[in-house]
Amino acid sequence: MEGAYKPGWFARSTGLIVALYLVLPILIVLPVSMTDQRFLSLPHESLSLQYYRNLFASPEWFASIAQSFWIALGATVLAVVSGTLFAIAAWRLDRRLVNLMRALMLLPLIVPSIVYAIGLYRYFRWWDLLDRIAGVIIAHGVTGIPYVVITVSTALAAFDPRLEQAARGMGANLSQLLRWVILPRIMPGILSGAIFAFIHSWDELVIVLFIASRDVFTLPRRIWDGINENVDPTMAAVAVLLVFFTVLLLLADLAVRKKRDG
Amino acid sequence: MTLELHGLAKSYGSFVAVEGADLMVGRGTFLTLLGPSGSGKTTILSMIAGFTEPTSGQIFLDGKDITSEPPEKRQFGMVFQGYALFPHMSVAENVAFPLRVRGMSKAEREEKVRGALDLVQLSRFADRLPKQLSGGQQQRVALARALVFEPALLLLDEPLSALDKKLRAELQEELRALHRRIGRTFINVTHDQEEAMSLSDSVAILNHGRIIQLGAPEALYEQPRTRFVADFLGKSNFLPGTVRELGQGTLGVQVGALRIRQEPGAAKVSLGAPVLLSLRPEKIRVLGDADTADNVLEARVTSWSYLGAGFSIIAETAVGPLRLAMPAWHAPFHPAEGAAIRLGWSAEAATIVEDDDAGA
Repeated sequence: MEGAYKPGWFARSTGLIVALYLVLPILIVLPVSMTDQRFLSLPHESLSLQYYRNLFASPEWFASIAQSFWIALGATVLAVVSGTLFAIAAWRLDRRLVNLMRALMLLPLIVPSIVYAIGLYRYFRWWDLLDRIAGVIIAHGVTGIPYVVITVSTALAAFDPRLEQAARGMGANLSQLLRWVILPRIMPGILSGAIFAFIHSWDELVIVLFIASRDVFTLPRRIWDGINENVDPTMAAVAVLLVFFTVLLLLADLAVRKKRDG
Repeated sequence: MTLELHGLAKSYGSFVAVEGADLMVGRGTFLTLLGPSGSGKTTILSMIAGFTEPTSGQIFLDGKDITSEPPEKRQFGMVFQGYALFPHMSVAENVAFPLRVRGMSKAEREEKVRGALDLVQLSRFADRLPKQLSGGQQQRVALARALVFEPALLLLDEPLSALDKKLRAELQEELRALHRRIGRTFINVTHDQEEAMSLSDSVAILNHGRIIQLGAPEALYEQPRTRFVADFLGKSNFLPGTVRELGQGTLGVQVGALRIRQEPGAAKVSLGAPVLLSLRPEKIRVLGDADTADNVLEARVTSWSYLGAGFSIIAETAVGPLRLAMPAWHAPFHPAEGAAIRLGWSAEAATIVEDDDAGA
């Protein structure tokens, strides 16, 4: 921004400290994953890729990665479809009840996930969804809805209502209006929401601890168990891959936004 | 195609936006709804398009009541204020939209789009996105899109308001030529009186939700029915007076100390009745020494400005300040502040108008 005050040394150094604080805990896993020791530690003598080899040779880790991926994919579809439909409905019917519903939709972000997990445990026991992939997809899908509602609502707020009038004036019915005008206009918001919903499911642990036991063993849960049972540095290698994957998704989100704004 | 409005009204709570509008628009007419902001012109257009539901009254298209039909069934073309082009579609896709909606085949669509883009001279820009075009070009795309499905009626909502003055004049020309060429009915909404006069066959002047006067631009300018019309369409001097003489063809109207000779025109007057005269600035002449006129008045220039084609002068007189317009190329004198001049106008120059007190 031209004509604005330049940041001083205080603002610069606090900014740097905050950035380091955010990034350091993530960066530390990189050297740890390349340790030459037999336990979770920084490398002593030399760097080694043995734990990456270990990871790719291990069927358990691989199974967990695959499982986490499919669960996140399913949860994303669930969150995107219901979140988008809700956001469009709330946008069309701006009434008091809808505002209450909107607050309800954001609840999974506000309520501590452990509370949510306890509640889910009760219901899932009745419905026989415990330790089932479908159960985890439903749980993650529902808790991923707020991300989609927020991003899609933001996209809809920027939607010019005259475009709808124009489309109707030219004879478009509701479904043509949705498919050809509204959805293409809010697609960047939907994609953003999808990416966040995916990341949410991909690294969710608390709910999984409650509703899964032997059959469903997602990646965050395997890392968690690994830390509790042994201090195998393979976890650090997994963590690096996780970080790498997440950064890729965030870059994709940035690209989507840039395309929308540019 | 005939469009008729019968007592069309719209209120929002206690606010009356449109108060019983009656209008008949014949085939091929270019009608403009002209009024200041808040006069209800856009609401009327929106009711014709079907976006706003009237509180009462009916809309007939060729005798068929379409009041409760949704906009997508009415099949009118519309150009929106700010154009409302679809930003994610190319120019050609925008223009093809109404055809796609109607399930037209791709080949047929392409042909019609080409025709419509040719009509507005934009064929070269078919593959661009709207944001890559200038305001005037976007405006033409909106026109092509509204006309491509050959609607019987084209609605225009302040179509030129976003453009600068020169471009606006250019597009006015184009719009008028286009109207002549395709011979469809256009209904235009604007607050720009010049635009209304230059484009339209017929103008409806609105104020406070009511149609005050409807007629050809020339008729409205020459015979304004009320003070508001005279004031909104061009400039005018207003002289309040009383009828003192009912002569053969002329009246004697007492304005202050001055007896003005005035033709009654269409107005019905009686002796002793108060009347309001509307006198256009360009109808007041600056008289030379030997010149004479039906009404002559001594005046003193209080201010003036040069406008290229002419001078605009304000002069103090016995009946108050008068504004006059004097062509520059045959000005009988060069204006100067304080200069004493003689003003004159003929008995048919002024018009008797109804004082609806909305002008000042």
